[in-house]
Amino acid sequence: MIPLPALRALREALGPGCVREDEGTRVDGEPLAPTLRPADAEALAGALRALGRLSLACVIQGGGSRLELGNPPRGASLLLSTASLTGVDAFDASEGVCHARAGTPLAAIEALVEPGGWQLPLDPPGRSSTLGGALAAAAFGPRAQGFGRPRDCVLGLEVALADGSRTRCGGRVVKNVTGYDLNKLYTGSLGTLGVIEGAWLRLRPRPARVALLEIAPDRLAVACDGALAAARRPSARAASLHAAQKRTGERPFTVVVELAGDEASVERDAAWCESELGATPAPASALERVRERQGSTPGGGGLRFRIAGLPSQSQAMLTSLWDSGAELLAHPGLGLVYAGFALPGPEDPAAVDAAFRCTAGAAAAGGGGLVLESAPAWAKRGRDVFGDLAGALPLARELKRRFDPAGLLNPGRFAGYL
Amino acid sequence: MSGLVERLRGIVGADACLVRPEELLVYECDGLTLHRAQPTAVVLPRARDQVCRVVRACREFGVPFVPRGAGTGLSGGAVAQRGGVVIECSRMDRIIGLYPMDRYAVVEPGVVNAELSKAAAPHGLFYAPDPSSQLVCTIGGNVAENAGGPHTLKYGTTTQHVLGLELVLPDAEVVQLGSRSGFGSGYDLVGAVVGSEGTLGIVTQVTVRLEPIPERVETLLAIFPDVVSACRAVGGVIEAGLVPAALEIVDQRTIAAVEASVYAAGLPLDAGAVLLVEVDGPECALPAQVLRIREIAAASGASRVEVARDAAERQRFWRARKGAFGAMGRLAPDLYVHDAVVPRARLPEVLASILAIGDRHGLRLSNVFHAGDGNLHPNISFDRRDPDELARVLAAGSEILEVCVAAGGVITGEHGIGSEKRDFMGLVFGEADLDAMKRLRASFDPDGVCNPEKIFPSTRFCAESNPKARGYERVPFEP
Repeated sequence: MIPLPALRALREALGPGCVREDEGTRVDGEPLAPTLRPADAEALAGALRALGRLSLACVIQGGGSRLELGNPPRGASLLLSTASLTGVDAFDASEGVCHARAGTPLAAIEALVEPGGWQLPLDPPGRSSTLGGALAAAAFGPRAQGFGRPRDCVLGLEVALADGSRTRCGGRVVKNVTGYDLNKLYTGSLGTLGVIEGAWLRLRPRPARVALLEIAPDRLAVACDGALAAARRPSARAASLHAAQKRTGERPFTVVVELAGDEASVERDAAWCESELGATPAPASALERVRERQGSTPGGGGLRFRIAGLPSQSQAMLTSLWDSGAELLAHPGLGLVYAGFALPGPEDPAAVDAAFRCTAGAAAAGGGGLVLESAPAWAKRGRDVFGDLAGALPLARELKRRFDPAGLLNPGRFAGYL
Repeated sequence: MSGLVERLRGIVGADACLVRPEELLVYECDGLTLHRAQPTAVVLPRARDQVCRVVRACREFGVPFVPRGAGTGLSGGAVAQRGGVVIECSRMDRIIGLYPMDRYAVVEPGVVNAELSKAAAPHGLFYAPDPSSQLVCTIGGNVAENAGGPHTLKYGTTTQHVLGLELVLPDAEVVQLGSRSGFGSGYDLVGAVVGSEGTLGIVTQVTVRLEPIPERVETLLAIFPDVVSACRAVGGVIEAGLVPAALEIVDQRTIAAVEASVYAAGLPLDAGAVLLVEVDGPECALPAQVLRIREIAAASGASRVEVARDAAERQRFWRARKGAFGAMGRLAPDLYVHDAVVPRARLPEVLASILAIGDRHGLRLSNVFHAGDGNLHPNISFDRRDPDELARVLAAGSEILEVCVAAGGVITGEHGIGSEKRDFMGLVFGEADLDAMKRLRASFDPDGVCNPEKIFPSTRFCAESNPKARGYERVPFEP
């Protein structure tokens, strides 16, 4: 919430179309209002300049599907939405590249490029995901096995910096070392260095054939080995394991494998999965369920951790978490495990401590780190949800200081409370 | 500077500290022979600790330092433009660990690119980025330049294959960046450092991803009457949804040079262009792909399409491509290997413009290029002792970059900006864009002592940098 004189000044500078007084939200319990909804990139830069003049800090929102990611905001009073920056302005079907504005829903980009024979290599959970939000959060889904990391599809970005300057990096070509690769720096920076206005993306050819298979082993070790083996098939686009704690009517372990590519490769890999792993055809909704689970928490209000380790240690990570009663989803080929913990009642710090202890143990077993992706605000207190940046923290601080000296963009939310 | 030299000798040993003018001669330039500057000294450290101490000594004596790998770079990136100490990492050449189960390796920066693939081969793995200099260039240099190569179309450039880095910062502190999983927390500083041309620190350890060796490789060579039809075939292959490992075009002038050299590959001298296509992957998938590529090539006007029958023939096909630089080098004492990228669909018109530029300046210019990526390499054979010819080479180079940028492209795809193209950055980026890059630079190297005089335009050109580059209005800074 902002003081009335500041609200008046914003309205005067940006116009009532941009300053939506009736729209607000809460992020980690902090009330944020109004919502600034600039109509285009120039208006976005103008909004940032106005915020700078008035010393108002904001939380940045794309589609709102990942607002729970991050430490609680520190001193942010309003919301800056990129939802009005929409549209795919360029799509070159001969080249497999497109340019879209930040607020464009991923689904809209998919709908445009798929008939042209291409696919968008981003499939994060959250139906409302926008391009800008997905890139800012470096969000990915089960198909990361085949697609790679979100950074890999970014050819160029337009970014409005905290001082309102509009900048570009990269370009529209698929190979480029002209200047520093700031694409990598902005992707995954959670908007703390600048606000993405739009992006050039490298698309992937739409596969000639896709096959969806599932395996229902009765032991966790078998499920993990199966998912890992499937992930290593050349045409594997996703290979995910779900482990549900003894719920009636549900098989405890499910492995969903998606193969995509040319006819012959998919057919061969499918036959291999059937004969070696006992895989059977899965319903078309199976992968969507994996994606939903990756983005949800038990009971809706629990904790969800992401643990990133080595693929060969997936089983060790899963085993240690399974005994703690967590609900598990994993992409063993990527060494990624998502652990969900239900929280019994309101504000039970002991339960949170226990969950942290056992995920930290799993991360240590996996040779990696952890992120608390989703949690009630009280459960985030006293801990950096992104874990410890260790020796990289001074550099990260320096970057934040130079890109956003006044701390206007998502203050406190990122790793290291930046 | 004798105090500094004494300090350096004390750190790395007298045999690893070069100061005699004849020893420094080779460090005056890298693969770009046009830009020369002699360093005060060259050190060849054997361990990270020595790198830290060398950096600390440089800071105390107030001299800049420049990291160097094998010196095969083509943009002057490893040259001490402002003097100072060159830190050559070639003696830090251990493969520290190779982890086949998780498909990664941890190496020192001096490991030679091809040696890493050789070490990984018994495990069925290889290191994918393969710049033309891979037999000598080092992983540290590859990281600095974000090196590419003919197979980046499918496998990506160095940045896609680096998971973690150990970096000695310009204040001599050591920082570990990234993670073995590739899914770490915080800013993607690995992504920022790869391709930063040695300006953010000195890489002392690299964690790289390894790829499974494909089951099978097929190499095709298609002969075309002209370069336009070869480009059409490239477009056809991409549009068909195929992702070949390589799609390379050699133009008529290069064919003539290759066939007149020891690299002769038996190419018809009347061919207008040769297209080399390599596909790799599962054995079962390749016959259909080869057939499809043959069809596309024929439909695009190829007079002949050959498929390599064995490894020897595959090598012969590649000789036409890889021998191009050596063959062109025969024609004159110097070879200027240019590097620019354009959207693939614009290749035919841009190539025509480039040939016209070369002709207008009376230069021996030919083209070999990574057509699948739109990455052009116009080569100019010349004699730098001839001041008039040199002036024409530079003028043509500048015009070529302008043509590429006007077509929606950029001024380098894999060689880097270095000192060579720093004054052309304004063609692509405006002041605000460069300012954002400077913020990154200053976060790592606030005093600008690590590989100075690179990437950013020299002061003279800074004021001339086009504020409307790429169509953006200048945005005034409002405090």
